[in-house]
Amino acid sequence: MISERELIDAIERLEADALRRWIDLGWVLPEQDSDSLCFDPSDVARVRLICELHYELRIEEDSMSVVLSLMDQLYAARRSLRELVSAVETQPEKVRAHIAALVKAKQ
Amino acid sequence: MADPYQLLGVSREATQDDIRKAYRRLAKNNHPDLHPGDKGAEARFKEIASAYDIVGDEKKRVRFDSGEIDASGTERSQPPEREFYRQHAEAPQGFKYERRSNGTGHDDSDLFAELFGARSQRAKARGPDVSYTFAVEFTEAINGAKKRVVMADGKTLDVTIPAGLKDGQTLRLRGQGHPGFGGAEPGDTLVEIHVKPHPIFRREGNNIRSMLPVTIGEAMAGAKVQVETVTGPVQLVVPNGSNTGTVLRLRGKGVLSKGVTGDHLIELQVFLPDQPDNVLVQSITEWEAKHAYDPRKKQGAQT
Repeated sequence: MISERELIDAIERLEADALRRWIDLGWVLPEQDSDSLCFDPSDVARVRLICELHYELRIEEDSMSVVLSLMDQLYAARRSLRELVSAVETQPEKVRAHIAALVKAKQ
Repeated sequence: MADPYQLLGVSREATQDDIRKAYRRLAKNNHPDLHPGDKGAEARFKEIASAYDIVGDEKKRVRFDSGEIDASGTERSQPPEREFYRQHAEAPQGFKYERRSNGTGHDDSDLFAELFGARSQRAKARGPDVSYTFAVEFTEAINGAKKRVVMADGKTLDVTIPAGLKDGQTLRLRGQGHPGFGGAEPGDTLVEIHVKPHPIFRREGNNIRSMLPVTIGEAMAGAKVQVETVTGPVQLVVPNGSNTGTVLRLRGKGVLSKGVTGDHLIELQVFLPDQPDNVLVQSITEWEAKHAYDPRKKQGAQT
């Protein structure tokens, strides 16, 4: 966990105003610790990604909302799918083979 | 390390603006955080990034073009290892940002609600049917039976063979197929049943037919003989004056089907002794000399 100051120092190009704006938009969800903000490693990586998308790839605010929303949905879907796969993995071999055959037939 | 111009797909004469545009396009298409399922994305993205690191910077580009620095970017300012967001998003703590992904309070995906039998009416699908075939004995098909059979795939089925089952008939074991989707009912198991032939009995609709060998004496003088039926042995009266082709009817000894029972038809076959002795041959020959008869005439009259 790092503070807001540490985060801004760690990432080139990141400015306090932009960070505040992204937090207001809900793009970044730091933990509120009394009157300061705390960023965990996934917040840091996310801020770095948003910086990259915004400053290097020129994705503007409106588009960024769409990109992040789709990205979050993609990761959510991947997580759900992985949970389903691990549930399937606990099934007997015959059930797994049957599910695999059904999935293959649909593809 | 490949040539940075080649990696970015631009010529050596490209403007800084061209290079920037090429880089943005490639970076968007290869950014690992935007392509979580693509294992190669990270390596490609890093190559593109370090290529851009050299030729995207006008001063470094001049030094690279003059051979002062090589393509591996000896003076790279970027740290060689970096963490991508996807490593976090894919890790257990990654669910943090999934909750915000649909704004309405993200639960699990709608797909799962259907899978686990929520009230949703969509995407319900009855489970697929499973088909098997197996064979039963002739008398089991006639009289009905309860069978426990192990199928080719190792599945054990308890099958009730209804009395009067016909060869090739399919039984439906409701709900014993594959499970349904979205809370829908399971499929059925379909069992096609073949009936093995019987050495004596033949089925004709709801009647049973069989041949019964009798001796000359039994046919001529009449007799009481024991015959097999599908429900066990019975005593049969062979009337005197019977012949090969005479059909005797045992009422109600056939197939029970839909409340009606067929008959058992017994066709007689007169058999000569295996080795006729001289006495028999002589007496028959003498008898025929006085009482000539032509069985073939009868056959001709029938056709």
